[in-house]
Amino acid sequence: MLPTPPPTPDGDDARAPGSTASSGAPADRPPQVECRGLTKRLPSGARTLTVLDGVDLSIRAGELVAVLGPSGSGKSTLLGLLAGLDRPTTGTVRIDGRPIEGLGEDELALLRRRRIGFVFQSFQLLGNLTARENVLVPLELIGFEEARARADEVLAEVGLAERGHHYPSQLSGGEQQRVALARAFAPRPELLLADEPTGNLDPATGNRVLELLLGMRERHGTTLVLVTHDPEIAARAERQVHLFGGRLERDTGAAPAAAASRGA
Amino acid sequence: MSAREPAAAGGDAPTRWRALLASVLRESRAARGRLVFFTLCLAIGVAAVVGVSSLVSALRSGIVGQSRELLAADLRVSARRPLPDEVAAFFADRPHRRADLVEMGAMASLPTDPEDGERAAASRLVELKVVDGTYPLYGELVLDPAGPTAADLGADAVFVGPELAGELGLAVGDALSLGGAEFRVAAVVVDEPDRVDFAMTLGPRVFVGTEGLARTNLFGEKSRVRHVSLYGMDGDPTREELAALERELRGALEDTPYVRVRAHTDAQPGVRRSLRQVEDYLGLVALLSLLLGGIGVSQIVRAWLAGRTQGVAVMRCLGFRAREIAATYLGHVALLALAGCLVGGLAGATLPWIVRGYAPELFQDAAVPLWQPLALARGVGLGLLVATLFSMPPLTAVWRVPPAAVLRAEAVPLPAPRSVRLGAPAALFLGVLVSARVQGGAWLPAAIFSAGLVVLAALLWGGARLASVASARLPRGRFGPYVEHGLAALSRPGSGTTGAIVALGLGVLVVVSMWLIESRLGRALRTALPEDAPSVFLVDVQPEQWDGVRAALDEHGARSTSSVPVVMARLRSIDGRGVRELAAESEDRGRATWVYTREQRLTWMDELPDDNVVVEGELWSDPDRAEVSVERDYAQDLGVGVGSVIELDVQGVPVELTVTSVRDVEWRSFGINFFFVVEPGVLEGAPHFRLAAARLADADAEIELQNRLAAGFPNVTVLRIRPILEKVAAVLERLAFGIRALGSFTIVTGLVILAGAVATTALRRAREAALLKTLGVTRGGVTRLFAFEYALSGLLAGTLGTVGALALAWAFLVHLAELEAELPWWTALPTAAVATAVLATLSGLSASLRALRARPLDTLRG
Repeated sequence: MLPTPPPTPDGDDARAPGSTASSGAPADRPPQVECRGLTKRLPSGARTLTVLDGVDLSIRAGELVAVLGPSGSGKSTLLGLLAGLDRPTTGTVRIDGRPIEGLGEDELALLRRRRIGFVFQSFQLLGNLTARENVLVPLELIGFEEARARADEVLAEVGLAERGHHYPSQLSGGEQQRVALARAFAPRPELLLADEPTGNLDPATGNRVLELLLGMRERHGTTLVLVTHDPEIAARAERQVHLFGGRLERDTGAAPAAAASRGA
Repeated sequence: MSAREPAAAGGDAPTRWRALLASVLRESRAARGRLVFFTLCLAIGVAAVVGVSSLVSALRSGIVGQSRELLAADLRVSARRPLPDEVAAFFADRPHRRADLVEMGAMASLPTDPEDGERAAASRLVELKVVDGTYPLYGELVLDPAGPTAADLGADAVFVGPELAGELGLAVGDALSLGGAEFRVAAVVVDEPDRVDFAMTLGPRVFVGTEGLARTNLFGEKSRVRHVSLYGMDGDPTREELAALERELRGALEDTPYVRVRAHTDAQPGVRRSLRQVEDYLGLVALLSLLLGGIGVSQIVRAWLAGRTQGVAVMRCLGFRAREIAATYLGHVALLALAGCLVGGLAGATLPWIVRGYAPELFQDAAVPLWQPLALARGVGLGLLVATLFSMPPLTAVWRVPPAAVLRAEAVPLPAPRSVRLGAPAALFLGVLVSARVQGGAWLPAAIFSAGLVVLAALLWGGARLASVASARLPRGRFGPYVEHGLAALSRPGSGTTGAIVALGLGVLVVVSMWLIESRLGRALRTALPEDAPSVFLVDVQPEQWDGVRAALDEHGARSTSSVPVVMARLRSIDGRGVRELAAESEDRGRATWVYTREQRLTWMDELPDDNVVVEGELWSDPDRAEVSVERDYAQDLGVGVGSVIELDVQGVPVELTVTSVRDVEWRSFGINFFFVVEPGVLEGAPHFRLAAARLADADAEIELQNRLAAGFPNVTVLRIRPILEKVAAVLERLAFGIRALGSFTIVTGLVILAGAVATTALRRAREAALLKTLGVTRGGVTRLFAFEYALSGLLAGTLGTVGALALAWAFLVHLAELEAELPWWTALPTAAVATAVLATLSGLSASLRALRARPLDTLRG
């Protein structure tokens, strides 16, 4: 009942260590992530709630974008739709110019596996695995050569080289989020989506995690979409997108194409 | 970065098996609780499967391994009349050794005491075996005291079976009367090579020598004589050589179809057939407890996955495909199941040792291998199959977990693909069917078993759901907090109690229905003798003895005495075609051979008894030809009807008869009846004996009559019906004990599942308990609340299971066994329901001990 194609030797999606995603893509390339008229409605009791309402957004490779807005403004929903975790009610999402709404759940999973990393507000580590194993899982999934060495490397990068054998329940909140950072960066994703990564941490710890996140993103050249309701954190990003009531209110660095389509 | 095509990546990327294997191992590290319940659920069923299979395999290999000793020969040739010369001629130029035997039923009695001439001495129907000095060719006649052999029997010694020695109080050196001659008991028989299970015979064994037999009057017209020659071939022939020799011999005996030939390679076909039947029936009962364990596994997996939704969402988010997650979990299930199956399998594999401890007579040969690795492999394999198949339906939940749940707990579940939704239950049913085929030996019973199981489970499930809905509808605030809590638990969705009730209910159903059927059948056999049915049959009464025997019968108060002459004969041809030819054409050759070549007992009479009704033709209606009336079913077997001409061989004389009527016989009247009844005036000149039947008041009167006849007419065999029915009942009881013992495994499995359902919700239960305690309910109070919940589940399972059992037993008894059911409707129901409730409460409470003990603050904070 679980048909699975035969395994083939590591190859197509194993990346050579050190080759980072390119930043500064040529201007004529399509944006890395692009959405048009993105709308999400959810049933809420007898009524329908519009969580996201006609959002247009283009993100270029290597950009750092902060998505700002109060609770319930649709930030997390937007993030979920960009990663194909959820389906929009209407509108399209394109990754590297290709629409993803025609993809099945399995194809979406493969897309995430290869190119997208996540960091969540509530860490979302797998509780039955040690810190090191949590980092190893996505590496093994893409058949990363020398996965163990890579896992140790990123754990060291987040300062947890000595805590790899601990289970999430034995780690503090800040440590757990650092493990989550290591897990997200380990397979060198091109796109990282972070949902309130410091939301569950005290300010000092939150700062440390944020510094780590930004530093790693800098070193890896990863595109980062960072959801937050904290203007101070958002200020660290080169571009801020403001959501309010599901609508895109302000975009400090709208791409020319997106701006053009909005009739600017 | 865009060297690769995201959308074109498609869904066909390779699965990283090593990554999945690593996940399986990690998943299985901290699964102690799950492992315990997996083991409990599966071990019982696997132990049952392995136990039955090991025992039967050990017994069978014992038979195969010593087949030559069990036949006491390489070839055994036998017939109901003296063997034809062709047999000896066939062996004349083949170097061999030979032993001749005669087997027959006879009456043995203590010699009449001259002091007490009036009182007839004690007597007993025995199975006489007349042997010459060369018996046995293989194996050993084990005697107590050891020393004498068959050659020492001489003219006046006998060896007697221990049952006879016990019954008549015989000791070595005592005298015994057989067929009018007196013998001395030289030894008690401990074991004989070609023995038959005592339960299958009419009486205990007595060995007598050929010269001894000559002194008796036992060789007149006898109905149950078998002449046997045992052959041992020189040069130790291989199985193949022996099979070839057997074929040649059969060829040489074409013209004497009444001769039976058996090679030792085909030893104990009857025992092997019974073993096979026992294996099939008990195998299915054992499978039942394994399948119930499967329901338990299914419950555990469901509960475990319910606590894993978030983890599954994270995995999907990290890029796991649903099927990869399901494969990981399935691997985990298989790993836990393997542990459980090995524990159960090893326990079950010890059954042959245990049985040998209790019934050493089953294992005569010390070399029989009790350790049966194939049986172990079968049980473990079936256990793994059942565990993985039953995990599949709950595992479809993996497909439904939305990856968006990592962001929003209330994310809408995804639909599982059709192939998964339909494939999981289809695979499950197919797996059950295949398991039943493996255990039951054939497809048809396997299909009936599987379909029946599905129907019963569906009915129980429906009953449980109905009760759940009804309990939700009951008006609240009327029954007090304890009962209310129990009712609420029944109606709570997804609590896993429905599955537990189905499993427990099935267990109750199996055990109660087995008990009902077996006890009713046993009682029917013990009391089934119809009012006017004869209770004794007198066989081999010589015509001139009949007046004396009749007088003895009258003296002992015999009622409804009847007597008919009996002539032994064989079929030669039907409508001019030889019976060999006819048998060879038949589809079922073994049965056809028996139908055509069996020893026929003929009688003649003017008018048919009341229990015979002519359904075709007319009795004695042809003035010109010799007529015969044939019983309807047998006529169908032979393929004859009114107008057919059958030729009989009446002890060497050919007799041609025309079928002029076909009769329906009420066999259940237990009266004397015949397949062939011949027109008077045809057979009177043939050698014959009389068969008589009579009803005596009770067993004491029967024994007195038997003793009297043994003294006065020693060649007459007295066949008592009551002890035979009792013997059948005893055999049935033995088989039923096995079924009940295995069936009780299913109840234990059901209880384990209930405990498992309780324990897998331990966390929720601990919260509940903690909350109740903070609200001021004492620990005793919480215990009572929980107890009511388990008791209600048990009551429901017990009630549903017993109702099902009563219905099943009624259907079986009335429609298959054609008995009056007389079931204990009103006592069985409350008894079984309350007993189940008590057991369920105990197992449920023992599974919630930890939750009850927990301190409220720890639980609520944690």
